Amino acid sequence: MQRKLTGIYRTEEEEIKEAGFVLDFDEIARKGEISKEEKLIAKWYGVYTSRQPGNFMARVVIPGGIMTAQQARCLATTSYKYGQGIMNITTRQAIQFHWLKMGHLADMMRELNTAHLTTFHGCGDVTRIVAACPLAETCAYARFDVRKHAIATQKYLGSFRDLDNLPRKFKITYSGCDTGCGQPFINCVGIVAQQVEIKGKTEFGFKVIIGGGLGWKQFIGKELFSFVPQNQILEVTRAIALLYRDYGDRTNRIKSRLKFVVHRKGIDFCRDIVLTNLQAEGKQIDNILHTPIRETGGDVPYRIQESMYAATDGTTTVGIRVPKGELTYRQMNIIAELSEEFGNQHVYTTNRQNLELKGVKPADVLALQKRIRDIGLYTDGFYGIQDIVPCVGTTYCPKAVSETRTLHDILQPLLQLEKYTTIRNAVLINISGCPNSCSQYSIFDIGFRGMRIREEHGSVEGYEMRIGGSHTSFGKILGEFKTTNISEITETVLDTFVKLRTDSETLAQTVQRKGVEPFKEAVLYAI
Amino acid sequence: MRYNYTKAKNFSEFTTRNGVVDNPLDFKTFAKDIPCQNACPAKTNVPLYIEQIFQGNYDVAYRINLEDNVFPGVLGRVCTRPCESACRHNWTNIQGPVQICHLKRISADFFKTPIEPLTPWYEKTEKNIAIIGGGPAGLTAARELFRFGHSVTIFEREPRLGGMMIHGIPRFRLPAEIIEAEIDIIIRSGINIKLNSNITYQTLQTIQSKYDAVLLTTGTSLASHIDLDIDANNCMYGNDFMYAFNTNTLAPLSGNVLVIGGGFTAVDCARSCARAARKLMGEQGTVSIVYRRNQENMAANFEELEEIVHEHISIQTLCTPVGIVKENNTITGVTFVKNKLEVSPKGGKPNMKPIPGSEFTQACDYVIVAIGQTQDYSILGSYSSADEACTLQKKLFSAGDFRTGGKDVITAVADAKQTAQQIDEFLMGSKRRSVHIAVEMYENEYDGKTGRTRDFDLQWLETMPTAPIQQRAQNPDTEVEKGFEIQQHTSVSSRCYLCHYKFEINHDKCIHCNWCIEVTPRKCISRVSHVFFDEDGAPVDYVKSNTAADGTYIHIDSNECIRCGKCLRVCPTEAISMVKITKIECSNNVKLA
Repeated sequence: MQRKLTGIYRTEEEEIKEAGFVLDFDEIARKGEISKEEKLIAKWYGVYTSRQPGNFMARVVIPGGIMTAQQARCLATTSYKYGQGIMNITTRQAIQFHWLKMGHLADMMRELNTAHLTTFHGCGDVTRIVAACPLAETCAYARFDVRKHAIATQKYLGSFRDLDNLPRKFKITYSGCDTGCGQPFINCVGIVAQQVEIKGKTEFGFKVIIGGGLGWKQFIGKELFSFVPQNQILEVTRAIALLYRDYGDRTNRIKSRLKFVVHRKGIDFCRDIVLTNLQAEGKQIDNILHTPIRETGGDVPYRIQESMYAATDGTTTVGIRVPKGELTYRQMNIIAELSEEFGNQHVYTTNRQNLELKGVKPADVLALQKRIRDIGLYTDGFYGIQDIVPCVGTTYCPKAVSETRTLHDILQPLLQLEKYTTIRNAVLINISGCPNSCSQYSIFDIGFRGMRIREEHGSVEGYEMRIGGSHTSFGKILGEFKTTNISEITETVLDTFVKLRTDSETLAQTVQRKGVEPFKEAVLYAI
Repeated sequence: MRYNYTKAKNFSEFTTRNGVVDNPLDFKTFAKDIPCQNACPAKTNVPLYIEQIFQGNYDVAYRINLEDNVFPGVLGRVCTRPCESACRHNWTNIQGPVQICHLKRISADFFKTPIEPLTPWYEKTEKNIAIIGGGPAGLTAARELFRFGHSVTIFEREPRLGGMMIHGIPRFRLPAEIIEAEIDIIIRSGINIKLNSNITYQTLQTIQSKYDAVLLTTGTSLASHIDLDIDANNCMYGNDFMYAFNTNTLAPLSGNVLVIGGGFTAVDCARSCARAARKLMGEQGTVSIVYRRNQENMAANFEELEEIVHEHISIQTLCTPVGIVKENNTITGVTFVKNKLEVSPKGGKPNMKPIPGSEFTQACDYVIVAIGQTQDYSILGSYSSADEACTLQKKLFSAGDFRTGGKDVITAVADAKQTAQQIDEFLMGSKRRSVHIAVEMYENEYDGKTGRTRDFDLQWLETMPTAPIQQRAQNPDTEVEKGFEIQQHTSVSSRCYLCHYKFEINHDKCIHCNWCIEVTPRKCISRVSHVFFDEDGAPVDYVKSNTAADGTYIHIDSNECIRCGKCLRVCPTEAISMVKITKIECSNNVKLA
């Protein structure tokens, strides 16, 4: 048969998607091979290929980053059985297994199902895991608990079959206040809890920001609605998803995210479409506001700090710092046990690839922390300089260019130096192995993006270094450096920061105040 | 400055990314990247018009052709297709080249808006030019000189214009109305025509004194002579035969016909003969072509050779005529000797070596000798070549077959265009127009969408529909190749790689993420450790490398690129860019980038 000659440009992926999303992993196990088309559709089931041929990665959906102790145990068992006992926490609060074999995928999913866990819609062009800020229910600044909304959104949007074939992925995140620990400005949809006064009455609802995103081209989100009542937020997320479904570019996957729609068409156009979508489904739009409205919930901190762990009900949160976000099934099992012994029988994942236990009595904290340290994890340095977030890098990821975990190990001894005690909480470091920015390198104080640097002959691994990013603005490029030089450059940057810092500024605040030039001068020109 | 690493140099195959340039590097890249256009003597912008045909813009496609090769309808039927031999599909695909010639005909068959004469480039100059000979070269030169602002007069010996196109090529290959329509576009612009004016050496002298310049394009009007006694009443030279056939003055002929020769004329003669003698339906008598080399060396293309068989014409190869059997001024047979071929030490066509004792005589009733044509230099008086005469007489120029010897229409057109430039330079004292390379940057908003996908490469070939043999027998002027149906256009034109687009990596932006390598439809992008450059800075060769540490560059090999644009779309650092290259002729006073 003569090949199609429509003259209309469509991506291969769109054609494969058109054939449907049904995939039988038992059949794949029997066949012993997976085709190109099946590899794409497998993403809807949360399964990716790995850098190591023949191995797969599966991402378990954990809406809002909360799982029960039993689920945590199930994850541990599954990873022990199928994934070499290793699991990774992602920056979207999910858990990933690597080293899965093709024949085990179906069994692995069955195993997860026993604990009501699923990998379904872990990847693919669908609504991805709905994230929430790490301290959602216990934070003193939180306007109200957003985690339950995150879980409800995941469930609600996952139930629509007309949202299974979006142009590309669709990411939603919830934050409890304007601090934006859930990173609302860099998600497709960022939802921020608000306390406002309308007609003299205090109302609780949400501010909706759309069109943010990092990836290879970074955008800061724009405000779509200034106030959405709590009971209408689900409908609004669906209306935004419909906007994206209809207006996303299906001819070019790299430019198909919602951020490009917002960037090209403008926020006003998007707002009109969203409101039309809401009306078309018979929803109320009178209570949804888009005129600027003043937040009346009080001041919020610049950034989440370890000191905010104490909850209002007298209990506290205990963090577990997981270096590189990777932990073993033994550690997970013990954490599940500890959550039952000391906490509220739940384990929480955070977007800095750490774990948290909540509901711990202040009296038990020291004992719990000792138990955590016994299994080789850390109980200090959260939201600080040692809490480096690297993506998996060339360890597992087929897309990565640089070995991010090595850089993590290179930097760690430097950051523990005595001279940096004062800035422990003022610098956050993220390392991304490629421009996809899985670890959001451009919105933190120091960000590294993997690359290779050309030499006279051949090339060496290196990083593009940015400094001064915050959750509403991107870091500025300092330069491109070889990995061998990164350690001394980071030291120079931190030393310069210590010199320039006033009060309790973070590096980002210093860069915003003084600009990137003093740092460039110190790194590039100082002898 | 610290951390200022020494890197291998960043290179581009153009001296600009957006602008008009004329550096050797740009011309080199042009020649390497668009082999079809480079192979075309008239430098027709092949990929550009094929792209337009694919998009359904036949009008635009026709005008591109008209601008470049003057006779699109004619050349779409009879071109010798040097472009197709150069097409990249020859070495990267199993289906053979893109049917460029047929596509040219598509543009001529389906354009809609009537064609207006091309507008002149310059104001009137008050210079008068005489062109002797109204063939393809003469007409082309007339059009070009008129556009330079000169006034032009064509002197034609015959009662109609067209030269070899009208008298040398049979109607069933090239209908007269096609030629006339395209001649009309040239004439309508305001060119003076003097038909039936046979110019001799004496009249040329008077013309030379009256005009500012004289261009000789009288072509090859004499037949090359064969070293045999063929003076008989049943023997004709090929060009005389074609002239008689095309002017309907051919005496009836019958019996077995031998056509000696293997060029275009020989094949045309044989096919015309088959019609004239009504041999198509398998009546009594035969037509056979006898050629001294093998079929591979015949000028006719494979489609024509197929038609020869179809029309019951036999081909004997490797036979050289050595003797004539004559009875009463009538040839009754020709004696041939068998040859074997030997590789010529000079290159080119192989040499023939007669096999002793292999002589044989073939009986025949009619003989046509079509072994080539040559110029009639009598018009030059004492000079023995066109070049000699033109160097010695400043006002005199020559072009087309008259200068180059018997070639084809496209070569004549190209030569005439060039000569028109020279005449203008002679008259105006300076070169007013010259060739440049226009490099047009396609910003990333285009997403590298050339409209091509990998599927396009794997199209099946369309075969040219032909008239049934009965129709050909009934009316000898029935055009054999009927032209593609409009539905066939997309699949024929989609195969073109659109070589005028070029994807390049800016190595300073490239981070070696290899994503482009992963999405390539075939091995068009690779990690390379060394790139070798020639003296102009054009990359000539590279060494692929297997490891990331060894890879100095990520390099796009234009020879393998199918212009699908996937690499550009996937590039996360926007290091890959797309440019469109066009060879343009423009005024010299245009400012360059």
